[in-house]
Amino acid sequence: MINPVQPQACTILSVTKESRHEWTFRVASDVKPDHGQFMQLSIPMIGEAPISVSAQGDGWLEFTIRSVGKVTNVIFQKQAGDTLFLRGPYGKGWPVEQFRDKHLLVVTGGTGLAPVRSMLNMLAANPDYAKSVHLICGFKNEDGIVFQNELAAWKQKFSVIYTLDDQVKEGWRTGLVTAFIKDIPFESFGDEYAVAVAGPPAMMKFTGLELMKNGVAPEKVWMSFERKMSCAVGKCGHCRIDEVYVCLDGPVFPYTIARDLVD
Amino acid sequence: MGFSLSAAQADAVLHALKNDYRIFAPKRFPSQGRYSDTDIIRYEEIDGFSDIVWETKSDYPAKEVITPIQQTIFYFTEDEYRASKAKEKPILLLARPCDINAQQIQAKIYCENGDYEDLYYKRIRERVKFALMDCNGGDDTCFCVSMEANKTDDYALALKFSPEGLLVQVKDETFTPYFTGMPQADYTPAFVEENSLKVNIPDLDDKAVRLALKMHPMWQEFNRRCISCGACTVACSTCTCFTTRDLIYGDNPEVGERRRVAASCQIAGFDQMAGQREIRSTAGDRMRYKVLHKFHDYKARFGERHMCVGCGRCTHRCPELIAISATVNKVNAAVEEIKAGLAGQ
Amino acid sequence: MNHDIDIKKLRLNCFRQSKVPGEFMLQMRVPGGTIDAKYLSYVEHIAKTWGDGSFHIGTRQSFDIPGIPYENIPAVNAYLEQYIQEVDSQLCGVDMDTVSHEPKPWDPTSGYPTIGARNITGCIGNYHCICGNCNTFELARRIEPIIFPSHYHIKINIAGCPNDCNKAHLCDFGIIGVARMTYHPERCIACGACVRACEKGATRVLTLNEASGKVEKDACCCVGCGECVRACPTSAWTRQETKFYRVILGGRTGRQTPRIGKMFLNWATEDVVLGVLKNWQKFSAWVMDYKPEYLHGGHLIDRAGYKKFKEIILDGVELNPECLVAEDMFWHETEYRSNFNVKPLSMHHTAGPKK
Repeated sequence: MINPVQPQACTILSVTKESRHEWTFRVASDVKPDHGQFMQLSIPMIGEAPISVSAQGDGWLEFTIRSVGKVTNVIFQKQAGDTLFLRGPYGKGWPVEQFRDKHLLVVTGGTGLAPVRSMLNMLAANPDYAKSVHLICGFKNEDGIVFQNELAAWKQKFSVIYTLDDQVKEGWRTGLVTAFIKDIPFESFGDEYAVAVAGPPAMMKFTGLELMKNGVAPEKVWMSFERKMSCAVGKCGHCRIDEVYVCLDGPVFPYTIARDLVD
Repeated sequence: MGFSLSAAQADAVLHALKNDYRIFAPKRFPSQGRYSDTDIIRYEEIDGFSDIVWETKSDYPAKEVITPIQQTIFYFTEDEYRASKAKEKPILLLARPCDINAQQIQAKIYCENGDYEDLYYKRIRERVKFALMDCNGGDDTCFCVSMEANKTDDYALALKFSPEGLLVQVKDETFTPYFTGMPQADYTPAFVEENSLKVNIPDLDDKAVRLALKMHPMWQEFNRRCISCGACTVACSTCTCFTTRDLIYGDNPEVGERRRVAASCQIAGFDQMAGQREIRSTAGDRMRYKVLHKFHDYKARFGERHMCVGCGRCTHRCPELIAISATVNKVNAAVEEIKAGLAGQ
Repeated sequence: MNHDIDIKKLRLNCFRQSKVPGEFMLQMRVPGGTIDAKYLSYVEHIAKTWGDGSFHIGTRQSFDIPGIPYENIPAVNAYLEQYIQEVDSQLCGVDMDTVSHEPKPWDPTSGYPTIGARNITGCIGNYHCICGNCNTFELARRIEPIIFPSHYHIKINIAGCPNDCNKAHLCDFGIIGVARMTYHPERCIACGACVRACEKGATRVLTLNEASGKVEKDACCCVGCGECVRACPTSAWTRQETKFYRVILGGRTGRQTPRIGKMFLNWATEDVVLGVLKNWQKFSAWVMDYKPEYLHGGHLIDRAGYKKFKEIILDGVELNPECLVAEDMFWHETEYRSNFNVKPLSMHHTAGPKK
């Protein structure tokens, strides 16, 4: 019998400090996850936690982990050459086939950028994949900005709006991401568009409402959820919302389902 | 085939069975109850016939044998996780119909949710055969008939206890040899046909009704009454939720074991991710989440039946005297009110 | 009206002098404060037949019936026979034909032979209470034949748990039901309910070890209340079957030196508690040179000194292995008058046989 919850040892290739609290671990792995899928990382003293695959390449995967409290701090003592334990990938990622030849709007809040990062890198590397890519990235403040290099690179490839919630920064807007939805030229998209949203629950809720206000069709919107999980294979129950399991049916949900879920 | 055994004969058969099976049954643990000079009845491997508590229902469910409160799933060192091993010896599990039906529900979640059959559930469940305990009607918290969990044919033996001894129906013929030379008698198990407690299951098929129910003020009652201790879910025959927890040996975080530990959606922190706010932060939210899972969400996902077998153990173990039956009846009243409101619009 | 009444004799007979000359209040013993409700009809009958019709619940849980004229006392005592026989002789097994364990035939129509020891009080205990660790009145009924009838005074309060609703800390000999717990780590789900319960309601002796997912206990500071057992959703904490008791010594109220009692024994079994109480008469007799006075236990300990008390009271008592005994006593008294103790040597009390 296969044991899908058995973690595999992987070597850490590098550790990048994205911000004071968010570090990216690149580990050696031949797993090829779909964009937006997640994996289970074994975190000493915690058990396991679901972490989005924030980038992938030949023989490696990246995970961006936020240090919160003394428990996850154990993982922050790891360095290149050390071992991390992984299993997965799990869940349903972004429906990238449905984004092909569409105008794509991506809206992220904070580290919600992590689960769309590998898809954005793919889109940046394949400029013809989508008709256009519009990116609205919001962060709470300057300390919270992650993936600085990519943000700069995407500026050259996509139509971007970068914003801080309540801080002023040169070249950046100030305000919540919802304030800039109206700036997206939906009328020029016709019917050929899709929207991907990832971020904290409140941000996604209000982004959804704002999108609807701007005439976006609910069936063209997808949202990536993040919930507590122990198993990632539909057994432990932590991530269940109503009759769906985020680990099996998500983490990316069509808005038509996501909008009605009540935790 | 049936047998009528004296207590001594029943004991002899049990001892013969113990060579080939680990036998688990409700057992009394004197003075281990929540309150002084009260007992606990819970499942444990038994030594003899007199260990079996049959007159009254156990405080904790039979599921503890199959999905223990705690089990080691891996041992780990710095570069390897090694799955724990299961005991090979088969299990004979004495259980009432509610507990046996509950295993259909646990099996759905462990083996039919997602693409994987859970190794840890399956490897124990495969080794379990049930000995059906004749249920003398349970107690005033039982409502198995309302939940259609009063009957089962998933058993190898059927047992009817009395102070004098035991009536046995052998359904699985591999058990016949253990009864060689024992006095034969006809016995066919009877099932409870009516409980004093009846629960009306609310009709929650309509999404608008469901959304309105989730916002309904009825749940606020539990902010005051429920202490979010989780005793109801631990006592539940069907609840499956667990958390994986790593246990470190000594001071070396690289060596230890990974355990599954029962988790409860009623206990604060169940949905809380590190560094984030709790999603269901009140007792009322948590009660809504549990009750709707039991009486709508599970069935919406898996079909067939609801996730409650009406064993009443959640009511029985609640230190704040919250009855699930009364709660479901309140849901019913709220649903009627919501429907009337929607119809009037 | 007869104005020549021996009130001291009546006090020994459990009739208390009234501010109205010639009237008395009967105090009926109710060991442990719990008794068959049928005896309330006895109370009603005495109050309406021989008293003024009123009834007071005594501060020491006796049934108190005031307003009984002196001339009615023989009738009351005759009527009391059945109550004393049923409650003291039969329920508690008291040998009524002794006083202070010495043979002394009792006239059944003469009422209570002594006022000592005072009625043993008890909270409702685990007969009803969700916090209780012991059955208070059953313990009281086992103590009753040890201390009654006697001319030596002792006030015993039994509290079912360390919440001490029954004020074991404010009597000569306070007994508190405590539990020793067993932790079943295999049933623990690390929910922390016990840790919070202990922190909120007891002595903060539990912590959740994040590395092991188990609860650790600073056992030396555990008060044995059992709140962890009550809080635990999985029965990972259970009470041990053996009952244990804490004995609080020398608490009192009063006009001179009120004080809270201090811990004398911890984790004593019932056998030890009963064994100690069996030495009570011996200790009292020694202190007062075998001449009983109307003086409560705490004062006797003061006279003898704690170490002497300990020597006599533990004589021949086999302590259970868990039992801890106070080496010394550090009472803290309210001195209504400063330097209360400083007085001419001739006014000092002495203990033990006179030379």
